[in-house]
Amino acid sequence: MKIKKVNIENYKCFKGQFSLELNPDINILVGNNEAGKSTILEAIHLALSGMLNGKYLKNELTQYLFNNEVVYEYIASDKTQSLPQILIEVYFSGEECPLFEGNGNSEKAKGCGVSFKIEFDTDYQDEYEALIKSGDINSIPIEYYRISWKSFARESISSRSIPIRSVLIDSSSNRYQNGSDVYISRLIRDSLDDDEKAKISQAYRKMKDVFMQEDSVQAINNKIKDKAKVSEKEVKISVDLSTRNAWETTLMTYLDDIPFHQIGMGEQCIVKTNLALDHKKSKEANLILLEEPENHLSHTKLNQFVKSIQDNCKGKQIIISTHNSFVANKLGLDYLMLLNNQKVIRLTALQPETQNFFKKLSGYQTLRLILCEKAILVEGDSDELVVQKAYMKFNEGRLPIENGLDVISVKLTFKRFLEIAEKIDKQVVVITDNDGDFENNITKKYQNFDGKPFIKICADDRNELKTLEPQFVDANKDQLDVLCRAIGVNQADYNTESDIVKYMISNKTTWSLRLFESDEPVRFPQYIIDAIKWCNE
Amino acid sequence: MQLNGVMNENKLIIAAAGSGKTTFLVNEALKYTSESVLITTYTEANEAEIKKKIFAKKKCMPSNITVQTWFSLLLQHGVRPYQGALNECLFDKEVKGMLLSEGQSGVKYSFIKNGKSINVRYKEDNEFDSFYFTKNWKIYSDKLSKFVYKCNENTRGEILNRLSRAYSHIFIDEVQDLAGYDLELIKLLFKTKASSLLVGDPRQVTYLTHHESKNGKYKDGRIKEFIQNECKRPIQCTIDETILNNSHRNNQIICDFSSKLYPEYSQAFACTCNTCRQNITEHEGVFLINEKDVDEYLDKYHPIQLRWDTRVKVNSSFPVINFGESKGQTFDRVLIYPTEEMKKWIQNNSTKLKNATRAKLYVGLTRAKHSVAIIT
Repeated sequence: MKIKKVNIENYKCFKGQFSLELNPDINILVGNNEAGKSTILEAIHLALSGMLNGKYLKNELTQYLFNNEVVYEYIASDKTQSLPQILIEVYFSGEECPLFEGNGNSEKAKGCGVSFKIEFDTDYQDEYEALIKSGDINSIPIEYYRISWKSFARESISSRSIPIRSVLIDSSSNRYQNGSDVYISRLIRDSLDDDEKAKISQAYRKMKDVFMQEDSVQAINNKIKDKAKVSEKEVKISVDLSTRNAWETTLMTYLDDIPFHQIGMGEQCIVKTNLALDHKKSKEANLILLEEPENHLSHTKLNQFVKSIQDNCKGKQIIISTHNSFVANKLGLDYLMLLNNQKVIRLTALQPETQNFFKKLSGYQTLRLILCEKAILVEGDSDELVVQKAYMKFNEGRLPIENGLDVISVKLTFKRFLEIAEKIDKQVVVITDNDGDFENNITKKYQNFDGKPFIKICADDRNELKTLEPQFVDANKDQLDVLCRAIGVNQADYNTESDIVKYMISNKTTWSLRLFESDEPVRFPQYIIDAIKWCNE
Repeated sequence: MQLNGVMNENKLIIAAAGSGKTTFLVNEALKYTSESVLITTYTEANEAEIKKKIFAKKKCMPSNITVQTWFSLLLQHGVRPYQGALNECLFDKEVKGMLLSEGQSGVKYSFIKNGKSINVRYKEDNEFDSFYFTKNWKIYSDKLSKFVYKCNENTRGEILNRLSRAYSHIFIDEVQDLAGYDLELIKLLFKTKASSLLVGDPRQVTYLTHHESKNGKYKDGRIKEFIQNECKRPIQCTIDETILNNSHRNNQIICDFSSKLYPEYSQAFACTCNTCRQNITEHEGVFLINEKDVDEYLDKYHPIQLRWDTRVKVNSSFPVINFGESKGQTFDRVLIYPTEEMKKWIQNNSTKLKNATRAKLYVGLTRAKHSVAIIT
C-alpha cells in the first residue's frame, strides 16, 4: 500500500490548504530553505505515527504547531469565527484497506486514509466563552484543544492499526533517555515477528532474575533495606521492567561495538536507511521519509547512499527532501517535485519539449532557479559578468548571490525557464538582446508573459543596437576613455565606437572579465539598470 | 443481477434451544486462520459469551476475528464511513453513539384527544436531524438500520461493498432478533462477495426494536420466511434446520413438550450421546404441581424459579429470575410461575398465545436439563 496524496492545513509554514500528490515509488522534494520540505515529511510522519520529534504529540500540544499568520489572524479577529484547526490527511492508494475507506475527509468523497486533526474540543465550549468574555486572548487557547486521529471511516485509530509504517530519517537526534535511538529501535522491533519479540522480552526478564540473584546485588539490596528507611515499603534496586516494552527502551543498538548514537550522523543516516529499505514484513507497507541526506554525507558516501536507495527501493515508497542537485539528478528528474510558496510543480507537468530539455540539462540549472529568491536570466557568460558588476554598483559592492539573487546563464532557452518560473511564482527577470528586431524577438516572443507580476523582460528597443556590446558602448559614448580603461584596451588603437564594438564582439570573455575586475566608473545600459532596479524593489 | 463474480455461500441455520449454537459458531469461525471473520450478535450478553468461548479455546482473540454487537457494527461500518452521503449536514458531525429506544423514537410533542394520548413525531424529510438523532447526536436504535440502508443506497452500495471487502465471512448469531430494515441489510449482504452464516432460534425473540413497519410480516423471528419469500434467485441462501436441532441441554420429554409451542418448526431432539445423557436423575420430565406444594417441591429439588416479572410473588428464600433474563442460561431444574395465558395453553395446547408470551414460555421450558415444574 502506498500514499497517494497528502493534504496539510494550517500546520507550521502551511497557511490554509496545501495538497501534494505523491508518486508510488520515489519522490524528490526540492525547495528553498523554509519552503516546507521538512514540514511535509514531518506532517506525514505525524499523521501515520502520532509522533513528532520522537515523542507522542498527544501531551505536547503547543500553539507553535499552528501557522503563524493563522494565529495572528485569530488573535486579531473578533472571535466570531470558529477556532483555527490543524489538519493532516494522508490518502492511501488501492483497495486493500476497506476499513480505512469512507468520506470522513475534507474532500467529502470516498477515499481511503487517515485524518489527523488538532482541533478545539467542544467539551470546553463554556470555558472558551468565558475566556472570550474576559477579552484576554493573546494566543490560541491550546489547553482546550484535542487530537482527533481517525480513519476516513470516522473510526478512532492508533499507529498500530495504520497499515503503513513510516520511518523518518532526519538529522536531529531523538533518543530515549538512555541513548538508544527511537527510530532504530522501532525499525528493529518492526522487523521482528511476534514470536521473536516474545523471546527477546523473555530473555530480558530472565536477565533481570539472574541479576537479582547475583550475590553482590543481593548483598547490596540487603544493605539498602537496612539503611534506607525512606518508606514503610521495601527498597531495592533492580532492572527496569516497568514499561510494557522495557527491553526496547533499555537495550542499545551497537555498530561494531560502538553505541549507535555515538557513531557519526552520516553513518547513522546510512544505517537507518538501509535498515528501512531492508524491512521485509509484507503485512505492513513501508514508507521512508528522508530529510536532506546530503547534510552529513561526503560526496563519496552520498554516492554510495544514493546507489543503495536506487538498488533497494523496489516496493518501497520514498520521499526525500534535498537541496542537492546531485541527489535529485541521480535519482531521476521524473520524480522531482519543486516546492515554492506553497506551490508544487513537477517536471512532468511542463511542456514535453521543456521537460526533455531539463532532463538533458541534468537538473542543475533547474534547481538554481528554484532555490534562489529571485533569478536574473542572461544569455551567456559575458552577460553574466556584466550583470553581476552592474548589480554590485547599485548594491554597495555586494554580489547578487549574497542577496539571494542568482544570475543564471541560459543561452537561448529563456522561455523554458520562464515556464517553470510562472508555475512556481518565482520572480525572474530576463536580460536579453534584441538582435536587431525588437518587435519579433522581444514583444512577440514574450507576449505570453506580458503582465505577469513575477516576470520582467528587459531589453532595449533600439534595433540598431543589436547586442550587449553596442549597447554598452552606447551607454559610455561620452566617456570612451573610461570604457577603454575598464575593458583594458588602449584608446589610441580603438578610437571610434565601432572599433570598440568590433573588439568587444571578438573578445567577449576577455572584456567582460576585465570589466568585472575594474574599478572604473563605467555606465551600464538602461535596460540592465532597469532589471536591477526591479530586482531591488 | 450479477453476484460480483465470486460465488459466496450463505446459510441460515435454525437452532433449537440448548443445541450449542454459539459453540458451533465459534468453532466455525476458528476454522479460518487467515481470512477475516466478523461475528455479530444482537445482545451484549451474547457478545460477551462469544468472546468468552473464543478465549477459552484460544486464550486470546485471533487477529482475524472481530466480535461486535449488531448495533455497534451498524454504527461503525454502516453510519460513520459515509454518514455525509445521506445528508450534507452530517459530514462534519460526530455521531456520538446510539440511544436504545423503547418504542418508536423521535416524538415532537404529545396531546390528549378523546382521552387518548397521541404522539406527533418528527418527519424524516424536513426534520432529518431530529428524526434520526437525539439532541446530542446519538442515533435512535430503531432507526439505525434504516439509516444504514438509505445511506448504502445513496452511495450506490458502497457501505456493503466496503464491509464485504473488510470481512470475508460474516456470522450473525441470534438472527431471530433482526427485523425491519435489518432484514433488508441481510438481503444486501447476501449479494456481496462475503459469505454469511446466520444462526438463530425463531422461538426465542427478544422483542426490542421491532417498531418498524418495514417487513412487518417478518417480525417475531420470521427470518426463515423472509429468506424463502424475499431472497429468491439469483440470491443464494440455504436453510438448514437439522444440523443444530439436537438439544444438549433438555431431555426428550422437555424437547417434545416445548416443541408443541412451535409446530411450524422442526421438532427438537435430545442429544443421545453419552456426555449429554449421563447423570440421569430420578426426577426427569415435565410436571404440573399444585400451588400448595410449591414450598415442599422447592425444598426437595431446588429448582430455579422463573417468572414473568418482579410483580409475580415467589418464594424469596430460593433463587428466582425473570423469563427474559434466563435466555442463554442452563439450569438443572426449573419451576415456572405461568401467566393466565400460559395456563390456558398448558390445559389446551391448541389455544393461541401472544407471540411474546409464547417466546417466553418456550425460553422458560427449555432452560432445564432434567425437570420442568409448572404451577397450576
